[in-house]
Amino acid sequence: MSAPAASAGASGTSGAPSGAPSGVSGAAGTAARPAASVALLALTPIFVRIKLALLRNGLKGSSKRKAAYFSSLAFALVVGFFMTLGLGLLRGNAHAGTVVVLLAGILALGWAFMPLFFPTGDETLDPSRLVMLPLRPRPLVAALLASSLVGIGPLFTLCLAVGSVIAVARGAAGAVAAVVALPLLLLGCVIIARAVATANVRLLTSRKGRDLAVLSGLVIAVGAQLANFASQSLFQAGGLSALEPVEAVVRWLPPATAVGMVDSVSEGSYGLAAAQLVLTLAALAGLLWSWERSLTRLMVTPDGSTISASGPVKDRGGAGGFWSLLPAGRTGASMQRALRYVVRDPKTKSAWVTALAIGMIVPVFNALQGTGSVYLGSFGAGMLGVQMYNQFGQDTSAFWMVAQTISGTRDAYVELRARAFALALVTLPYTVLVTVVTAALLDDWQGFPAAVGVALALLGSMLCTGAVASARFPYSIPTEGAFKNVAPGQAGLAWGGILGGMLASALVCGPVIALAVWLNMAEHRDVSWIVLPVGVAWGWLAAWAGLRLAAPTVARKLPEILSAVSKG
Amino acid sequence: MPDQGDATGGTYGTDGARTAPSAVRVEGLWKRFGEQVAVAGIDLELPAGKFIGLVGPNGAGKTTTLSMVTGLLRPDMGRVVVAGHDVWADPTEVKARIGVLPEGLRLFERLSGRELLGYMGRLRGLPGEETDKRATQLLDVLDLAGSQHKLIVDYSTGMRKKIGLAAALLHNPEVLFLDEPFEGVDPVSAQTIRGVLERYTASGATVVFSSHVMELVESLCDWVAVMAAGRIRAAGPLADVRGSAPSLQAAFLELVGAHGRDASGDSLDWLGGNSGTVTR
Repeated sequence: MSAPAASAGASGTSGAPSGAPSGVSGAAGTAARPAASVALLALTPIFVRIKLALLRNGLKGSSKRKAAYFSSLAFALVVGFFMTLGLGLLRGNAHAGTVVVLLAGILALGWAFMPLFFPTGDETLDPSRLVMLPLRPRPLVAALLASSLVGIGPLFTLCLAVGSVIAVARGAAGAVAAVVALPLLLLGCVIIARAVATANVRLLTSRKGRDLAVLSGLVIAVGAQLANFASQSLFQAGGLSALEPVEAVVRWLPPATAVGMVDSVSEGSYGLAAAQLVLTLAALAGLLWSWERSLTRLMVTPDGSTISASGPVKDRGGAGGFWSLLPAGRTGASMQRALRYVVRDPKTKSAWVTALAIGMIVPVFNALQGTGSVYLGSFGAGMLGVQMYNQFGQDTSAFWMVAQTISGTRDAYVELRARAFALALVTLPYTVLVTVVTAALLDDWQGFPAAVGVALALLGSMLCTGAVASARFPYSIPTEGAFKNVAPGQAGLAWGGILGGMLASALVCGPVIALAVWLNMAEHRDVSWIVLPVGVAWGWLAAWAGLRLAAPTVARKLPEILSAVSKG
Repeated sequence: MPDQGDATGGTYGTDGARTAPSAVRVEGLWKRFGEQVAVAGIDLELPAGKFIGLVGPNGAGKTTTLSMVTGLLRPDMGRVVVAGHDVWADPTEVKARIGVLPEGLRLFERLSGRELLGYMGRLRGLPGEETDKRATQLLDVLDLAGSQHKLIVDYSTGMRKKIGLAAALLHNPEVLFLDEPFEGVDPVSAQTIRGVLERYTASGATVVFSSHVMELVESLCDWVAVMAAGRIRAAGPLADVRGSAPSLQAAFLELVGAHGRDASGDSLDWLGGNSGTVTR
């Protein structure tokens, strides 16, 4: 237990002195009475101690959490160390300024958005827990600031900040500027996060805020893909000089201005540096002011949390519009519900948007880099096809409502078919679109029909195996938390179902893939269009067979499916 | 205490309404979860056209029983016949004839109240227009018209129970099963629910609901079954189960053997303003 306290304490002591003085000077300005400063002096260490105690208590009991904490601490330290080292090695490089300024910008951006996606991260910072205590805003801001400097995130940021200023600081003036810039950058990041979080605390504690947190998985998944391709193209397209126009802007955005200042001083442009310093200080003061304001408002106004959480949704049901084109009865109703859930349910939305985005990014970016193939268009079909898996788990325990209306194989078949229709309604045009874009970028129109054929055969196979897996391997999807997609104890079931299903899908559509490959290998590309009708027929047949196969199982095992999907 | 230990309801007695067929017949129903026996062999016959209360302390097996009776949970053993049809052998006939409001299971919360009713009606095979007409009336009567376009995820507990009740009534079932329909519901919503249910039973339909609020059961039901530790302790018309006891509450406490556990004697004698006396 001593290790986390020691390491967190180390970051606390490195952070607290830089946090406390600014708070002291801020409070002393208005509250000159001794009582107020006594309260202030007492408050900051109390909050830092609370934060340390929370960190320590969070690790008690669960060895899993302990392992997670220490591995992320070690990871942050190792990455931080190497980043610092790498940045230090950039010293003297012509692009060092560009890199560190952009890095500071990205860092600040990350800090600004983090509270929106990970709102439950820090209990000491939830002002609603402090409402009943008689606290003045200024000392509270200072204390909260000091306590938010304790933790892995600030430690990591400090490492990067040190590396950044080392990379660009030159000469005695540069060193002085670096010493000034270091706390400014760190404080800037932390204050941005706190100001954003406090201003949005109503949103974050409401249902909409929790919905937003669930979408963070999507941001990370898509962001990782984009970053991957961006870094690849950056190294291909003549390196860092391509980023200079961006850097010219970011250089003037606080708190990246703090690093920009060090660079300016080192280059001897003292006027520029002074402007950047003033801008940084002004921005920090502004952020502190707005943080204090929203904090004060939060502490004195009662919580009306759910009142404004959602306005009524417009009545688009029933008559008119797109929905009236859907078939009547169970088919239309189930399709409508499934499609509404894609838009409204954060978990479903997150999965769909990730699939749609990655299904587009992979073939298109590969095509842009000249490494693509028109057959990568089936990537999106595969990604969306995965959504057919665990259909009833996506219903959560509300599946009982469906179960109550399924009284035989026919009902089960129509229900599954409606869900497959809903998926196909989006996936079919999407797959064609992605393949068209990919073919256009590669100028490979000869391969286009075959690529669509393979994609649709794959989609049909995924619908087939997805339906069977939904019936045989249902599992619960917890509604909260972006990264928990399986209820405890069902992970094996979930992965087994999906991996086995994907293997089976590959086997099911294997003949179509084999046909396409053979036609390409044997230089029969001129007749490769034949894959399109074959693929369509094959996919349709596979989907139909899968639904037929799954329906009796669903009808027979309704109570078992319900209990399997109700654990979330 | 009549019918004690014998729960087949052989003597409906007082009103002599033996002519009505039973709405629900349960024979030898068992369910165990691992080591724990949740329902230990229930035999029960519930008369049609009555307002029936299933009462018992927490953990008595009420929810498990209702889940098995409505086909949401597969029993280990036993037979359930609802409206003359076996729940497990003939689900087609049963599911069209029953309405269910379970406890602890979600609704499709990302639909608005009206959308949920429209969805359920179509799943039940009702024509779209008829569904929408019934939905409008149910939303009106249950005082949900103002929130019909709000997502259910933003509904309060009372509103959830009401929209669940509307969904259960939409297809005009013969028998309605409600698990704790008044739990966590404000008095106004409770009165609304009550009014709808009374009107529904007056037309000859059967309501079976579980509760642990005795006053409520006493004021609503004309037939009760008392459950404890997975068994039926008594069943019959309200007056018979209550017997000579002053209230159903007293009769119930006696049945489940909870007497003599009230705070008397030395324990907690420090509690309260005039120390020493404990009033309940």
